[in-house]
Amino acid sequence: MEIVLENFTKRFGDLTVIENMNLKIKEGEMLALLGPSGCGKSTTLFAICGIHRVDEGRVLFGGQDVTRVPTQQRNIGVVFQSYALYPHMTVAQNIAFPLTVRHEDKQTIKKKVGEMAELVHIEELLGRRPEQLSGGQQQRVALARALIRKPGALLLDEPLANLDAKLRLEMRSEIRRVQLETGISAVLVTHDQVEAMSMSDRIAIMKDGKILQVASPNEMYQRPENDFIAGFLGNPPIAFLDGIISAGNVKISSGNIEFPCPENIEKHPDGSHISVGIRPEFYQPGNPYKIPGTVSFVEIQGRENLYDIKLKDGNLLRSIQSANVSPLSPGTKVDWGVNPEQLFFFDNSGKRL
Amino acid sequence: MSAKLGYIFIAPALALVVLFFLAPVLMTGVFSMTNMSTATGITGGSYQITPSVLIQLGDQGFDRKILKRIGSESYSISEKGLLAATKADVKTELVEELRERYLGETFASRRLFERFLKKLDNRPRSIRTLKSTSPHFRKSLIKERFASTKELLQSLEEMDLGLTQVQTDELVDASYTGWIWTGENFRKMFLLPETKQILLNTGFYVASTLLLFNIGFALVLAVTTFYLPKGQAALFRALWFLPRITPSVLYVLLWKWLTWDTGFINAVVTNFGVTPRNWMLDTAANAWVTVIMINGFIGASMGMILFSSAITSIPKQMLYASEVDGANRWQQIRHIILPQLKWPILFITVYQTLSLLTSFEQIFLSTDGGPGSSTEVWALSAYHTALDNYWGNLQYGYGAALALVLVVVGVIMSLIYLRFFRFDELIKTPRIEQ
Repeated sequence: MEIVLENFTKRFGDLTVIENMNLKIKEGEMLALLGPSGCGKSTTLFAICGIHRVDEGRVLFGGQDVTRVPTQQRNIGVVFQSYALYPHMTVAQNIAFPLTVRHEDKQTIKKKVGEMAELVHIEELLGRRPEQLSGGQQQRVALARALIRKPGALLLDEPLANLDAKLRLEMRSEIRRVQLETGISAVLVTHDQVEAMSMSDRIAIMKDGKILQVASPNEMYQRPENDFIAGFLGNPPIAFLDGIISAGNVKISSGNIEFPCPENIEKHPDGSHISVGIRPEFYQPGNPYKIPGTVSFVEIQGRENLYDIKLKDGNLLRSIQSANVSPLSPGTKVDWGVNPEQLFFFDNSGKRL
Repeated sequence: MSAKLGYIFIAPALALVVLFFLAPVLMTGVFSMTNMSTATGITGGSYQITPSVLIQLGDQGFDRKILKRIGSESYSISEKGLLAATKADVKTELVEELRERYLGETFASRRLFERFLKKLDNRPRSIRTLKSTSPHFRKSLIKERFASTKELLQSLEEMDLGLTQVQTDELVDASYTGWIWTGENFRKMFLLPETKQILLNTGFYVASTLLLFNIGFALVLAVTTFYLPKGQAALFRALWFLPRITPSVLYVLLWKWLTWDTGFINAVVTNFGVTPRNWMLDTAANAWVTVIMINGFIGASMGMILFSSAITSIPKQMLYASEVDGANRWQQIRHIILPQLKWPILFITVYQTLSLLTSFEQIFLSTDGGPGSSTEVWALSAYHTALDNYWGNLQYGYGAALALVLVVVGVIMSLIYLRFFRFDELIKTPRIEQ
């Protein structure tokens, strides 16, 4: 089912949290609402499922206006951050709850619960109570409960936040698998860019109640619309250096380097200040324009080594390199460089050029 | 830390517990095994053969001839009588005459004795003097008070009744006016038909108040205020707290004003042609309704507070989840909220049962067990029996026995409830999820 938010505005008292948001979730896709905490992504989710009243604008499900339809009748499945399992019911009763309140007959319920349990691999846990389950198992139960009555859409509110690292990895692919198998439209709210990038078809990145860009993970990583998005995506994060355009060249003062303007910023006026974004994978030994510095911190990640390089004027660059060679120790002087084609340039307002 | 310090700290509390809880309970136990009453007093008694003792013995099959003799009186001229007469300012000449000439003579009845007196030289001049003189020489076991068994036995011997040992013992026991140790109270409690009525009353009172108000109404209040905006909810709860914080005398007085013949209800309903009546005491049903409401409004507030806080402690997301799952308000209450109030409900049930069983001040102040004894509950009955009854004979012993039953029920229920609620489990270390 396609979900559309039209000029959606949400206020809490005098505080406007979200103003005039427009968003479309396509049939069968998984869209990630990505942003730092407090940016309004959960609020958007709650507006879609009807827990929060929409102050202005419309919510459309498959072309139908459901703005004034109560939560109970929207037929949406939600997995909450805390899973919100009912502690006094068994796993089977939890999963069956949406059908129980619709008074479906016991045989049907039992059959459907069995199917859902099979889908999320918890057949052997049906008789247990939530308190007897691990976090990952609770997550699966919540997922089964959200999906059992074939909802029009699945909403996931920070579903992995309460899990430890290993389970998170496992559940990431599990949730995606279930979503693909059922072909359901899904919205994933998360503040973790890795989660958003690895699980979703498209990402809507949010800041201060506004959607900055909606694009596929790859597109967004390759072509972020502004410096915030560039900074939010990618781990280890991008580093920014100040630059100035003069006579068709880009001058980066802290690196004491100068190179001809790439095509996309050729037309930018002379003398304007710009910000240059350098991703860790593009600050490497082999590149032509050298920015010398000193290794200030080394993080050994096994397959890769991550270096923090302190420049002469105190700015910091990051570099991620394959761990084929033995790692450098802090204090080592390095002379690594950049390639202009791989850099991002942002103007004063933060927009990418 | 030394254990000694702990004992020192706990000593005042321990002393208070012993003084104000254990000692009264112990005294109740002691009293319940006696037949103490206003009649017997609580100190020792004396021996007195009253007409009612004689009737009682007769009913028990005591030889009636002997009883008749004990009950009869005679008049004899003895030193004791003469001395009493002198003290009472009977003429000295008469006393001297009696002492010198007639000492030791006995007369079978007052008529004979007075006839004899009238013939004496120094006879009393007026009928009035005659009548006041004769009693000094009366000799009777009836109405005479003997301080000890020995004195009683001596007097019985003087009468030469030819009593057997068994008969003597029976007479001594029956004539004792003080209290004695006895298990009779409990037998009496078991046999009296009133006990059954009071037991039924108590059960009805506790069950109705508990179900309708302390649990039922409290739940309604807690759930409805949960769905109200915060400010209104607080106001509502504060309102329902008033009966609890109003002094009980004042609170019950307000109910009386409401229900009296000239009270508020009547002032309103007379306008519609309803005959004024006492809405509290008109019928037993009226009395029950008022008693249950009076107590229920007080008791509901505690459940309301406890249930309210239990409901607010249910995670918000869980309530959201149920709404998303399609549950309407009623289903949310029924499937999500109520099941999670299981423990608070059980707790209130047990706690309020105990408190309803033992507290009776509201009933005492409102209906005082009436009309008749239709709202007389166990605790009130114990109070009435022991400390405040119409007949004036306060039966401390029997009242204590009634109270002891309440104490025993209370202790047993407390033990069950301590075991049942497993307070130690409430402080067990939480399971950390990983």
